Amino acid sequence: MLQFLFRRLLWFAITLFSVVTISFFLMRAVRGGPFDNERALHPAIEANLEARYHLDWPVWKQYLQYVGPFNLDHEGLVLFGGDNSNVFGGVLTGDLGPSFKLRDYTVNDIIGQSLPISIALGSVAMAIALTLGLTAGIVSALRRGTALDLGMRLFATVGIALPNFVIAAFLIIIFAFQLELLPVAGWGSPRYLPLPALALGAPFAAYIARLTRTGMLEVLSADYIRTARAKGLPEWLVLLRHAIKGGILPVVSYLGPATAGILTGSLVIERMFAIPGTGSHFVGSALNRDYTLAMGVTILYTVLVYGLNTLVDLAYTLLDPRIELENS
Amino acid sequence: MASKHKEAAGYDSGSGRFDLDAGQLQALLNEAKRFKGESLWQDAWRRLGRNRGAWWSLVFLTLFVGLSFFAPVLPLPSPMALDPQSEPQPPFLPWEASPRLPENLPPGRSFEFGTGATSSLGAFADNAWRHRTFLDFQLRAEWLPGDPPPGGDELRDLVKAASGRSSAVFVKDGDEPGTVIERHAVPLRDGDRARVEYRPTGFDGTAQVLVVGRDAGAREAWVDFEVDLDRGALESYEVRTSGDGIELVYTLGDEGDQLRDRRYLAEVRGADGITVTRLRIDGERVPLSWSVDGGADPAGLDGQTDAADDLVAALESADQIDLQHLSELQVVSQDGERSIVVRRQAVPAIGQEGHNHADLARAVRAEIASRGSRAALLEMSHLDGIWDLNPLDRALVWVRTKVFGLWQTGPLLGTDNKGRDLLARIVWGSRISIQVSLVATLCSLLIGVTYGAFSGLVGGRTDNLMMRIVDVLYSVPFIFVVIFLITLINEYRTDLADYGIGYMTVFYVVIGAIYWLTMARVVRGQVLSLKNQEFVEAARVLGASTPRILFVHLVPNVLSIVIVYLTLTIPAVMLFEAFLSFLGLGVEPPKVSWGLLAVDGTEAISAVKTFWWVVVFPAMAMGSTLLALNILGDGLRDALDPKLRGKD
Repeated sequence: MLQFLFRRLLWFAITLFSVVTISFFLMRAVRGGPFDNERALHPAIEANLEARYHLDWPVWKQYLQYVGPFNLDHEGLVLFGGDNSNVFGGVLTGDLGPSFKLRDYTVNDIIGQSLPISIALGSVAMAIALTLGLTAGIVSALRRGTALDLGMRLFATVGIALPNFVIAAFLIIIFAFQLELLPVAGWGSPRYLPLPALALGAPFAAYIARLTRTGMLEVLSADYIRTARAKGLPEWLVLLRHAIKGGILPVVSYLGPATAGILTGSLVIERMFAIPGTGSHFVGSALNRDYTLAMGVTILYTVLVYGLNTLVDLAYTLLDPRIELENS
Repeated sequence: MASKHKEAAGYDSGSGRFDLDAGQLQALLNEAKRFKGESLWQDAWRRLGRNRGAWWSLVFLTLFVGLSFFAPVLPLPSPMALDPQSEPQPPFLPWEASPRLPENLPPGRSFEFGTGATSSLGAFADNAWRHRTFLDFQLRAEWLPGDPPPGGDELRDLVKAASGRSSAVFVKDGDEPGTVIERHAVPLRDGDRARVEYRPTGFDGTAQVLVVGRDAGAREAWVDFEVDLDRGALESYEVRTSGDGIELVYTLGDEGDQLRDRRYLAEVRGADGITVTRLRIDGERVPLSWSVDGGADPAGLDGQTDAADDLVAALESADQIDLQHLSELQVVSQDGERSIVVRRQAVPAIGQEGHNHADLARAVRAEIASRGSRAALLEMSHLDGIWDLNPLDRALVWVRTKVFGLWQTGPLLGTDNKGRDLLARIVWGSRISIQVSLVATLCSLLIGVTYGAFSGLVGGRTDNLMMRIVDVLYSVPFIFVVIFLITLINEYRTDLADYGIGYMTVFYVVIGAIYWLTMARVVRGQVLSLKNQEFVEAARVLGASTPRILFVHLVPNVLSIVIVYLTLTIPAVMLFEAFLSFLGLGVEPPKVSWGLLAVDGTEAISAVKTFWWVVVFPAMAMGSTLLALNILGDGLRDALDPKLRGKD
């Protein structure tokens, strides 16, 4: 277990290092800085701006500045300390630098404000996906071949085949305009949550339903279920104690990709519902050449996806004793 | 079968022995020789045929791909914005009459229903789908209360006299009481295009500008201009007439610098009666740009030019305004008896999808007001570019005109908020979506199979390292990297265009480059299990090189599983394209893809009226195709699964 975690951590460090390095150098190599406008800035102002963000330094120095807790002065390299308090600490200390476009904010400020919103949205969406998906999948497997099963499978396939913003459009038309139950877009109170969360979770609910159905059907025909039934356990107990645990295993292994997918999908959903989450900030920053913010969000999401994937792998071993952690 | 052979071969049921003569024996032997076992593919095909859902999915997809391939032959309206009045409008249902039908269609070319497209179909074969090149007039007339309104015929005659052809007229009330604004759109034909022709040596070029005059005698004339292209790429041109000459104003861009250069390039040549000039420049590096000057009234000219300059200055100084993002701009001066369009500018619209035109217009108006200028921004709207067709599609369009003539269907599925036919857009959009998904999938196939097969075949440390790299890439949230990459690539767009690499090519490669991971893993696993089998060893003993073993012996054997993953990758790529289009990073107008259609649908949602068809029909097309692909993929997986082989 510990070895597994250690190995994961090592690869995580390598992944993060490559993401940071490659995107940093791509970002610096590209023509057109964040301060390019149609109207040229006064050279003095431009020089000041560049000095403020250390864009006048050689690239390797900028890189060290961005990555590490080095205090780089114009004289040279000072490790951990120095009197220049103007510089920021670097990615390793969790400081993602100042935003180039939202001049008064650091990337940490922006993420600090927007991440809770995204997490709230994402976790509700995940909860919806799991609840709907598991229920539908189990019911569908138990009532195999009935109209209920058919209907749920149809819904699931449609949910997989449609992009989430189209689902969102349907939801808005139905719930916001026809029934007038929920607000169209925005953020602030719990009333704003259901529509985006449902739109975000729906494709994953569909996929989970499909996985659960297949898994449950497989388990329900297994020998140990027959044994459980033969010894006279009531049906609900067979289901709860024996079948579900094995049947939802495929779902657990799908949770990793699903988390990544929900993070990705939130880019679109946050934009569509005008939610000020991290995803919408990311899209805005990428389009506005706000490189530090874009990189900061990329790094953050890499960490999130990697961490959650590791958690899912751990959970998987807890649920299924037959599987051992990778030891290659 | 067996019993028949027994009969034919003279099986003696009494003695239980064969009684064959030589001929029968030979026939049996021949049959045995001819008999080959059912191949994997035949078996898979047979089993696919049994799977009802997968089979119908295949039929559906084949039909659909065929339909979208032959889209230019179908008598559909144009998928682009046809109506010069391209402000957002409420979409129309099929059964609602279109109020924007041009009033004076040329005789013999009128149709039951349809949008503004119809009048431009006159030059269909010549122009293919260049419907968008409208000459657009905007005129404002004033009259005193009590007088009969002018307008209508008078202005129409004027436009007709100037352009030599009938126009579609759109009338709306002016801002002030008692004014009316008429808008005339005249379809351009091939011969109308002004050309800029470059000299073969150096960057100096000769510009030829077509000038259309009002007087009947000299209606059209070519005027030569010398264009100095030494300083960089041409960005935009504008032709002005003035009291004493024709002026060609052009902007040069030099490596992204905002270099502007204005010159007088020609003296007056028969300026009498020349009231309308227009210019369109064809060239790979030169964006669509044309301008209209109306009414060369020497007295009012200064005021008009001032107003135009004011506006440009306002634009440049108002913050948040990026000229690159402004697609069209008009100014009307308000100082004369008549108000006339003096300047109309089309600037290259890059990334315009992310911009809110209402905000832009508000900012410009505020800036103009703060300067106390007499200029008034009358209208600003998207001007879609030109959708050039490739030679094959042109040929198909030619077939269409031969078969259907100018007949076209009406908006069978309604129109969208720019008056574009929804069915046509769905069909044409399917072409781009299919193209994107196929090319990107092939890209991923190429990378994935090579990488995976190589890794599996070499094995050992290299294999381990290569797979670790795949693992690392797996845990990167790729969408972020892709968005990052695409925005970076946008910076180098013109350079790439110089090498003949279009944006779409890059788009394919970027998408393909992220979908190869699963493919690489699957292929590697397959190769690992195959590489120790006898036939590979035999090949190695015979001296075959590693690439030869890879591509001749191993790849064909992993083909089945690759095909399965291909059919499952295609829908994923389609969804991804829709996703990028939603963020404004995908296919760009005037081209249309299902992603863009879905985006249009989401934008058409409003509380006033539910334009459900704009959402529902594209969603249905997309959903059914993706559904069919998914079902087909699952069916293929079952059919090609060796474990299930021969079982049903």
